[in-house]
Amino acid sequence: MAKIEFKNVGHSYDQTAKHPVYALKPFSLSWEDGGRYALLGPSGCGKTTMLNIISGLITPSEGNVFFNDQNITSVKTEQRNIAQVFQFPVIYNTMSVYDNLAFPLKCRKFSESHIRKKVNEVAEILNLSSVIDSGAKRLTADQKQLISLGRGLVREDVAAVLMDEPLTVIDPDLKFKLRRKLKEINSKYKTTLIYVTHDQNEAMTFAEKIIVMDSGQIVQRGSSKELFERPSTTFVAYFIGSPAMNIFNCSIANNELILGKFKLKIDKNPDQITSNDLKVGIRSEFIDLSDKPKENSIHVKIKSNEDFGNYKLLTCEFDNLEIKVKIKREQNVTSETTYLILSKNRLCLYEKEKLIN
Amino acid sequence: MKSIYFTLKYFAITLWSMFVIAPFLWALSTSFKDFNSVTGGATYIPWLQFEPSLEGWKVLVRSPAKGGVDIIEPYFNSIFVTCTASLISIMLGTLAAYALSRFTFKAGIIKNNDITFFFISQRIMPPIVLSIPFFLMLGFLGLLDSLFGLILVYIVLLMPIAVWIMVDFFNKVPKEIDETALIDGCNPYQAFIKVVIPNSIPGLIVAVLFCIIFGWIDFFFAFILTFTEVQLLPVKIVALNSSVTPWWSLSASALVSVAPLVVVAFIVERYLSKGNLSGALK
Ligand SMILES: Nc1ncnc2c1ncn2[C@@H]1O[C@H](COP(=O)(O)OP(=O)(O)O)[C@@H](O)[C@H]1O
Ligand SMILES: [Mg+2]
Repeated sequence: MAKIEFKNVGHSYDQTAKHPVYALKPFSLSWEDGGRYALLGPSGCGKTTMLNIISGLITPSEGNVFFNDQNITSVKTEQRNIAQVFQFPVIYNTMSVYDNLAFPLKCRKFSESHIRKKVNEVAEILNLSSVIDSGAKRLTADQKQLISLGRGLVREDVAAVLMDEPLTVIDPDLKFKLRRKLKEINSKYKTTLIYVTHDQNEAMTFAEKIIVMDSGQIVQRGSSKELFERPSTTFVAYFIGSPAMNIFNCSIANNELILGKFKLKIDKNPDQITSNDLKVGIRSEFIDLSDKPKENSIHVKIKSNEDFGNYKLLTCEFDNLEIKVKIKREQNVTSETTYLILSKNRLCLYEKEKLIN
Repeated sequence: MKSIYFTLKYFAITLWSMFVIAPFLWALSTSFKDFNSVTGGATYIPWLQFEPSLEGWKVLVRSPAKGGVDIIEPYFNSIFVTCTASLISIMLGTLAAYALSRFTFKAGIIKNNDITFFFISQRIMPPIVLSIPFFLMLGFLGLLDSLFGLILVYIVLLMPIAVWIMVDFFNKVPKEIDETALIDGCNPYQAFIKVVIPNSIPGLIVAVLFCIIFGWIDFFFAFILTFTEVQLLPVKIVALNSSVTPWWSLSASALVSVAPLVVVAFIVERYLSKGNLSGALK
């Protein structure tokens, strides 16, 4: 187990180019020992690159990597004690399930009895005991992925288990079970888990801390609650949540926020705002309906009302802008217009796409 | 509908097998004939109605002094040269192919694909282009008319085939396999030996097969680079020919020279199924 730390780590795949393009822009970050992290971001934003830097498959073109305050930037993969699970199951086709699981221990020359004990224990946890002696090649995709995972778990001393979209090939029902299993393993063995995904639900349900990335940069790091309630950039606001956050251009006048023809109160000191590239956002979950005007309410026309079973989604219109509102399914909306309450502590203000705190 | 498909399928397969097997049967029947049976023709059943004679086969093992063409030594020479050259080509070629598939090489404008193409280009050239340089080089080294010289030349001829097949195969083996082995604690050499090679058996078999075939059937270089000391089978068989074409002994020698390839084909046939040829991930 170890604390993993990046200090100004950045990577460019073609270092000979005159103007290197960063797959990962230099940044510093640390992962606490025993934490359960998700790395969330769209395809191509550098998630795999970051994992490969941790496991040593890639040497970063800039910066240093530390395990427990020890600089291991130039230590080879095989000496790093990292387990990594790839998107598609990688198994040693020519070996049995047992030998697959035992392989990392055999490579490290553990005694035969220790290997047998560990392999059987891990096979038990992953429900692989019944197929332990069969050839790994014949198993189903999700069993194969369990083997990939198991090879990481047989080693007690791994600094972290890295998982690169590991559940892509697995069907939804099993996905849910496996995620729970991973959580169990994390709390039982206190293994640091870093889980890469482009699926926000997966990240939200799995991790204690989510690291959101976009085009080679870390844009926010926080719990799912923080990401949901206070997205630090408009990118996160759009990326997280379904539907995405409602975001509008706005301006400030006389300590009030001007949104179309409406004036809204805010809980920020407007003096700190210097630019006029200003946006305001609010989650559709945090908007309340009202029949009559109230503080911070806007008058809107209801365009559509979709029933999603567990909730209803209203699409409303004001000043040619669209705003989405999530309401309980019991709530009946009959009128054509309504007032929406945008309470001031729910409003997020973005200056140049960044949250004003 | 299904039974029509079934019938058609078996009809096609039967037709094709006859097409493939017929020349063998013909050669087999001819090899037991003599001059009269070959030229005379049969009254009723063309392939079966004749007086069997072992002359065609006996010529192949009789010493030249007694008017035979002794192919036993050339036969074993051919086996030895082909196997040794194939083995070395596969070993070197596999290493080269792995490097070309996994690591990036760059020398000016020359990159991995150019190097791979350079290997193949050795086979695109007409062999005649190589004959004089090879002759001169072996002459300079004193290796003309020797098994060792032939093996060297055959390695040059066979390795490009091995490299070509194996680069293509390794490119299909996901690099995550190697990376997983590194993560599991192998160093790069152990990863290659313990994980990559076992996962590449089907590719290796194809490469071995091609090397053996191309080595075995070569006549051109065997003819140019040997004289009297060492002879290979294809060259020796040509010596059978005379003013009266000896169809019987030619047929017999044709059968003995394809025999090793048939044996190899039967051994590797099971590895050549489609499933085995796809990569390690599925
Ligand atoms: N081996 C490579 N060579 C060159 N560019 C690469 C390589 N691998 C990834 N990239 C580039 O680096 C960026 C980040 O890739 P990656 O880390 O794989 O993203 P993600 O895993 O988030 O989808 C992408 O723009 C991709 O095109
Ligand atoms: Mg990726």
